[in-house]
Amino acid sequence: MNPADLPPEVRAGDLLAATRALAQGPLREQVQAIDREGLYPRALLQALAAAGAMSAHLDSEQGPGDYALAIQAMAEVSRVCGATGFMMWCQAVAGLYLQQSGQPALSGEVLAAHVSGERLGGTALSNPMKSFAQIESLLLKATPVPGGYRVSGTLPWVSNLGPDHYCGAIAAVQTEDAAAAPHEIMFLLRCDAPGVTLRECPSFSGMEGTATYALRVKDLFVGESELMADPARPFIARIRAAFVMLQCGMAVGITQGAIDSMWEVEPQLGHVNQYLEDRPDALQAELDGLSQRVMQLARTPYDTDKDFFIDVLDARAHGAELCLRAAQSALMHQGARGYLMSSEVQRRVRESHFVAIVTPAIKHLRKEIARLSAEELPA
Amino acid sequence: MIPSALQPDARPNPLGLAIEALTPAWQTYICHACGYLYDEALGDPDSGLPPGTRFADIPDDWACPLCGVTKSDFSPYTAPSPEHVRRPLSQPSAPQGLARRGDAGIVIVGAGKAGWQLAETLRQHDADLPITLVSACAGDRYDKPLLSVALARHLPPEGLVKESGPDAARRLNLRLLPHTHAVRICAETQQLRTTRGNLRYRQLVLAHGAEAALPAGLAPGLCWRINHLAAYQRLRQALGESPRDVLVLGAGLIGCELANDLALGGHRVRLLDTASEPLARWQTQAAGAQLLAAWQGLPITFEGGQTVASVTRSAASGRYHVHTAGGQHHEVDQVVVAAGLHTPGRLARSAGLQWRDGIAVDPATLATSQPGIHALGDCITVEGAASRYIEPIARQVSTLAAALLGQAAMPYEARPALVRVKTSSLPLTLH
Repeated sequence: MNPADLPPEVRAGDLLAATRALAQGPLREQVQAIDREGLYPRALLQALAAAGAMSAHLDSEQGPGDYALAIQAMAEVSRVCGATGFMMWCQAVAGLYLQQSGQPALSGEVLAAHVSGERLGGTALSNPMKSFAQIESLLLKATPVPGGYRVSGTLPWVSNLGPDHYCGAIAAVQTEDAAAAPHEIMFLLRCDAPGVTLRECPSFSGMEGTATYALRVKDLFVGESELMADPARPFIARIRAAFVMLQCGMAVGITQGAIDSMWEVEPQLGHVNQYLEDRPDALQAELDGLSQRVMQLARTPYDTDKDFFIDVLDARAHGAELCLRAAQSALMHQGARGYLMSSEVQRRVRESHFVAIVTPAIKHLRKEIARLSAEELPA
Repeated sequence: MIPSALQPDARPNPLGLAIEALTPAWQTYICHACGYLYDEALGDPDSGLPPGTRFADIPDDWACPLCGVTKSDFSPYTAPSPEHVRRPLSQPSAPQGLARRGDAGIVIVGAGKAGWQLAETLRQHDADLPITLVSACAGDRYDKPLLSVALARHLPPEGLVKESGPDAARRLNLRLLPHTHAVRICAETQQLRTTRGNLRYRQLVLAHGAEAALPAGLAPGLCWRINHLAAYQRLRQALGESPRDVLVLGAGLIGCELANDLALGGHRVRLLDTASEPLARWQTQAAGAQLLAAWQGLPITFEGGQTVASVTRSAASGRYHVHTAGGQHHEVDQVVVAAGLHTPGRLARSAGLQWRDGIAVDPATLATSQPGIHALGDCITVEGAASRYIEPIARQVSTLAAALLGQAAMPYEARPALVRVKTSSLPLTLH
């Protein structure tokens, strides 16, 4: 039987079951090596792609994309390994860019290879997202040339990269006219293109297996067929809620993993753990409430209404805050055994820190909510 | 005790001093991507730059050792003095005698008349009750009806503030969170999510008021709405000191007061409304006709039956072009919209509060449909009717304070409002 002929709820159930099997099986075996040795789980990511776990949100022949399902799949993986959950997000948003670009050269074979996992990629939008929220300035600069643009600059810390990977990137178009409105382009940056080099980063506290590099770009030619959006701002306005919303899968999964660890020691340590705040039942209730809210938001990922986006930003902030509390509390619950370097409990503390600081970080989310909430008046 | 042989030679080395005098001081450079500081004195030995390598002498292929960007993403950096860095943190936004985390007590959203007056009343009855006031603006106390009068009298904006937010917070021993947006209510965990963190409340009071409505198709960045002090201050700044052409859209109570006071302030005013006369709600009392007669000596032109089709701004002149649906065109210096108020619903929605053109409350206690959450002021409706005047606020405060403090109920009675039009050319009292 062709899976495409199955009813959507059966397909969704199969997809989640396959994802869970990969997470609880091969991923669990590799998670230490990913975290401690910086192993990049390429084969596993490709298996997740083949199961459809990183493309459920994309429109396909079977119907429109299902963001709720994509987020649930990401949560299943993040529950076991936050770093792999993060790479799923990288791959998922890169797919989103390719599909939403409407660029035939990108949304055809390139997207198909991406969805199948044959090709992997990430997103270099941390800096642009902060730039659009007026937090920092754009690091890549583009100069118009016949047939396209020449792009130069360096981006720090772009994940899920490799010599044959790619990422979505944004560059500011340079003009002579100082009074001109800002103009940016978004394009597919291929790591093997002439002028692009990857540089190793120093060690991070967590996320070592995420293939994170500094991307140096020198006089890279970006032609028509690589352009995802020109100008980039309307495109970003359309996909920004989806971009942020997908990250909730990491927060939900890592929080769930932390709650699992609390229950694990309840039979032996419940008699002392009862004195802790943030007990697993209360955290689970809060997580269920948040998940429900995210599932609701996931029904309309392309809603461009300001209030909707504020809701998405706040759900993401709540996810990060809950993740921090749950990971911390799991360590309190497990005590010394959770403090062992081999324990997933201490690893999850470091993963939760990542959820709180990766773009958009808690502070960025709050700043952006404040900016969007302020009444707009004439200049 | 350090043996004297190991102590640094305290005598000045003349050659060293001479070289030092000739060499510019070491400079520090900051990476814009990650904040890494390159100190010329220290160099970057791991990347092969010995101490004392000038930034200018660093090869172009050198990379930031933390994040990998190049020299071009660095700029000179001067470390601010510690006093300078710490100053912003000593601002009095810190809690006054209250724990930062944990119990925020009674949390009031909104530092307008309703919010402050409730806080004042609660404090009179209970000296120890923890109170937290969350305000999207600075939280300064002022009388909103005076915003318009101030235009006529050229009052300096700062003169409108009766008491600054921090001063009032100190006097009432409450915690004021200024410039803080309330984002969402988590009713299950009794938390208010804000842009400065989350507050756990015993009781939550919504007093966030209403927002000025903007007719569809008009851009917020092109039309003033004067509903709070900060907007007034910015309009005053935009008007400057010389007479301007101002178009006021909407000839209800607020629009007429603004038109009146702008004209008295020396500006040329064009007042438009969809109705055929100003104050059309009080047509039976001939309010509009009386007002127009009184305005005869003022530079106010009223045009009824007008709908604005578009407002645009000329990039060259900075002036605004207003086109009406009827084909008229006006070129003015500023556009002010006074097209009524509407209540923002996001917070109420987040808690699933019953909504009837505003937050529906029980007049007996001003309780909303959700336990532990109350509301008063411009954001509430009783039996579906809002009352956006000053008079009911004091009575609502009494009702709510009694309910929050567990005293004998003092039900609120919604009454038809007596409206005083503060158009100084012709003060009117309308029913």
